[in-house]
Amino acid sequence: MNICSNCGVELEESLMQCPLCGMNSGEPVAGKTEKLNYPSDIINLHKREVRKHLWELTGIIAFSGIAVCTIVDLVIGKGVRWALFADVSIISAWLFLTFIMYKFRKPWMLITGLSATVLFMLLMFDLISVDKKWFIQVGLPITLALVFFVCMVVILYRYARFKGFDILAFIFLSVAGFCILTEIIIDKYIAGHINVRWSLLAAVSILPISLILFFVHYRMKKGNKLDSFFHV
Amino acid sequence: MEGKGINKKTFQERGWLKLDNCAKLFPAITSSELTSVFRVTAYLKKPVKYSAIREAVEITAGRFPYFSVSLGSGLFWHYLEFNNRPPRILVEEDIPCTAFAIKRRNEPLYRVLVKSNRISVEFIHILTDGYGAFEYFKSLLYTYFKLSGNQISKSEGIILPETPFSEEEIEDAYNKFFQKLPPPGKLEKAWHLPFRLNKKPRLRLIRTEMDVEKLLEVARGYKVSITEYLVSVYLFSLQKIYLSEKEKGGNQKGHILRTEVPVNMRNKLPIATMRNFSLFILPEVDMRLGSYTFEEVIRMIHHFIQAESDLKQISRFLSSNVSHEKQFIIRILPLFIKRLVIAAVYKGLGSKRFTGIFTNLGSVMLPGEMQDLIESLEIVPPPPNLKVKVSCAIVSFNNKLRMCFCNITESNELERLFLKHLTDSGIHIKILKNN
Repeated sequence: MNICSNCGVELEESLMQCPLCGMNSGEPVAGKTEKLNYPSDIINLHKREVRKHLWELTGIIAFSGIAVCTIVDLVIGKGVRWALFADVSIISAWLFLTFIMYKFRKPWMLITGLSATVLFMLLMFDLISVDKKWFIQVGLPITLALVFFVCMVVILYRYARFKGFDILAFIFLSVAGFCILTEIIIDKYIAGHINVRWSLLAAVSILPISLILFFVHYRMKKGNKLDSFFHV
Repeated sequence: MEGKGINKKTFQERGWLKLDNCAKLFPAITSSELTSVFRVTAYLKKPVKYSAIREAVEITAGRFPYFSVSLGSGLFWHYLEFNNRPPRILVEEDIPCTAFAIKRRNEPLYRVLVKSNRISVEFIHILTDGYGAFEYFKSLLYTYFKLSGNQISKSEGIILPETPFSEEEIEDAYNKFFQKLPPPGKLEKAWHLPFRLNKKPRLRLIRTEMDVEKLLEVARGYKVSITEYLVSVYLFSLQKIYLSEKEKGGNQKGHILRTEVPVNMRNKLPIATMRNFSLFILPEVDMRLGSYTFEEVIRMIHHFIQAESDLKQISRFLSSNVSHEKQFIIRILPLFIKRLVIAAVYKGLGSKRFTGIFTNLGSVMLPGEMQDLIESLEIVPPPPNLKVKVSCAIVSFNNKLRMCFCNITESNELERLFLKHLTDSGIHIKILKNN
């Protein structure tokens, strides 16, 4: 008797592969994931379809926006000037949405995609604008600094044993660090020398909050998880 | 199946059906957890034959075309759209009663699941209730056995695939039997089990089997029916948990222990619709009056069920449910607002009315030749909501009663107390391994 080793149903002798689960002599057949074998496959398929429809709809809206801005600028302004900024912003927003929709559960790919989008947007703004160029000295380093701190938080979140208030404390510390780096980069670009002032004030204000959160985490509520504490 | 046969094409050309009164609730409240899906299963004596079940599903779908529908969304109401598709045949998963993609275009609202020697059909309540599901299931099994080369000479009680279906089968019986009656009394909020919820996926099953004769003997000892006896045991077990929580000094919200018991209205009114036609009675004990002995509970529940399942009494629920739907203001509300209102009313009121759910599908009769090919039949009730937490359904077949508890909590105290009461009464219980 030809019995499928996975779902246990009797197959005709000539059937080499189970039409239900796609198993072939106990081994999954290549491309099995594209088949709808289990009830949860249908739900997952539906989720993918809904996401695709949403993506297509946002694409239509985005590219309609680009067309409208460009035509209005052409007709009223007799040339494409401000519309270029609007077009780049819309494309970037759409790319942002695309990465969030398709890479939400893959943090490293999401961070890479979003940072690439931000860098693309800033580079395009720099190229379009007629003022002094700022992308290499300001846009790029600030973006990289932001990416660095976000990556640190993600690493900590992924590998922390208890995802508690220490994560919040680290986020605050990262914000403080990012403020200082931002001021250093801007000072260097504008004045040519570094004079850290407002970012230091911000960092000093943030530091006690972080310390309190670390204290709460390690001394009082160790093991409390963020999702349970903040669940609505 | 009696009734005037209608041309299948006429029905298909019609293209769509209104949802019945009961079904209108489910699209608004259904979620990945509260799926409103129930399962009927047959455990066969031999492994399922794939080619036979595939053919049987297609043939049976042709006899029940009103199940070949998907959910459509209109401006004011959802509706059932004819899609001419047989149900999907899928492999059974560990978690039963998973959600249907009801918003997916042309997606069938029932499915056939197979694994080893088991054939199951899962229906979403939008489509039908337990009666309709079993009528379909019996027909599917009959066709399957015939296609598997078995000799089935008798077919009494089975809808044969070659018979025409009647208009009556797709009738909205709630509307047909609606008459304006005084509404039933307002219900106080019920007490709820205090157990912590399981982590997702929450659903856990406890499946048991017992002898019908012995159970009947014990129930007859109290001069009550099996349903009355088991509902009493259910409430008595709830009382034990209530009292133990009270002893612990927990903050008890609500003091009424109330069980929802669905009633198949086809037994009371002359209609054979295959769509939903169940109403509920709500037996209860009021803990503010003190604690009860089992004899007191069973006496109260017996009289309560006898009185409340009277057609005139139960028709008040029918009248109340349908009259809401008929109100002009409600009818002209756009669907998205209706959905919000229905979901809010269910969350705020509906789910808080009762402590537990107990469904008795009764005894399923099949021709002897089919009976010999089936080990047992089972029903898995829809996953309970976050307030009710535990639901129970029973069905008897071939002198065996299968009882299935659906539990979404970390505790199995209710099941333990329930089954212990039965074993203490001399009923042998077999707890079955989950598939």
